Amino acid sequence: MDFTAYPHALNSGNFNCNNVTNSHNNIINLNKFIADENPEIMRWLSPLDPRRKHQDLGNERFDGVGNWFLETREFREWKSGEGGADKAVLFCYGNPGVGKTFLR
Amino acid sequence: MIDALCDEPGEQDFAVAAFYCDFRDHQEQTTANIMGAILKQLVARQEVLGHMQTAFQKAKKELGGRCLRLPDMVEMLKRAIAPLPQAFICIDALDECLPKNLLELLGSLKDILQEAPRTRIFFTGRPHVEAEIIRYFTTGVIVPIGPSRHEIKRYLEKKLEMDTVRDAMSYTLREDILRIIPERISEMCVGTSTVPTHA
Repeated sequence: MDFTAYPHALNSGNFNCNNVTNSHNNIINLNKFIADENPEIMRWLSPLDPRRKHQDLGNERFDGVGNWFLETREFREWKSGEGGADKAVLFCYGNPGVGKTFLR
Repeated sequence: MIDALCDEPGEQDFAVAAFYCDFRDHQEQTTANIMGAILKQLVARQEVLGHMQTAFQKAKKELGGRCLRLPDMVEMLKRAIAPLPQAFICIDALDECLPKNLLELLGSLKDILQEAPRTRIFFTGRPHVEAEIIRYFTTGVIVPIGPSRHEIKRYLEKKLEMDTVRDAMSYTLREDILRIIPERISEMCVGTSTVPTHA
């Protein structure tokens, strides 16, 4: 098969899921309030705003893809903190386009 | 990842900060700016904000508004994280950082982790970054990522469903797409798998 005949089909190769915005976390809400009330300080801390990028990626996601990762022992141990400082860092690697950025 | 953490049921409060490295933005994505972007998402205590306001007012008087240096930023992040029950820091595409920035970033995060061991750090990146991760975080957990053939097929089916020019698609082409692309992409991902291989 000649892939060049269907270039749109390959696209970036990223797979994604729908963005679900959570707003009931107390710390997240408080952080948003503090950020909104202190724009000058926030700009001084950094001109970068990852929230916009996060929203853009959420809109491109494909539902359910990558959910397997959330069930892995590695992820659950990392998230729960059970492994202590030894398991504080989790690194997911893969070639370009395998969906690393879109892990839900 | 961020949404998965935020959607987690439970009573315990936690803070999540995320950053996406981008090779097209090297000029602005300095290590200090990256740490600042993370810090902005973790300020959730009035006393931490008070400290920042003081530092900000002081900096404004110096040289017409002094920028924060990386060590200042790291100290502020430590202050911001210390009172939090749990903080998650997620950084995507480490391979897109300039090499110098990558080492600074990993060193700074290691420094923070030593003072706040409850912090959880999540990285993604291309395989060659693994060596740097291990260099800074010897006990870091490494997981290969790759889409399964089933996921690729489901994705393609969804995309084909949304095709606005359906007449241009023949049955044969559709079948070719659904059969051959998952095979080829799976072959490209040999060496990575959906099953973690080592920790």
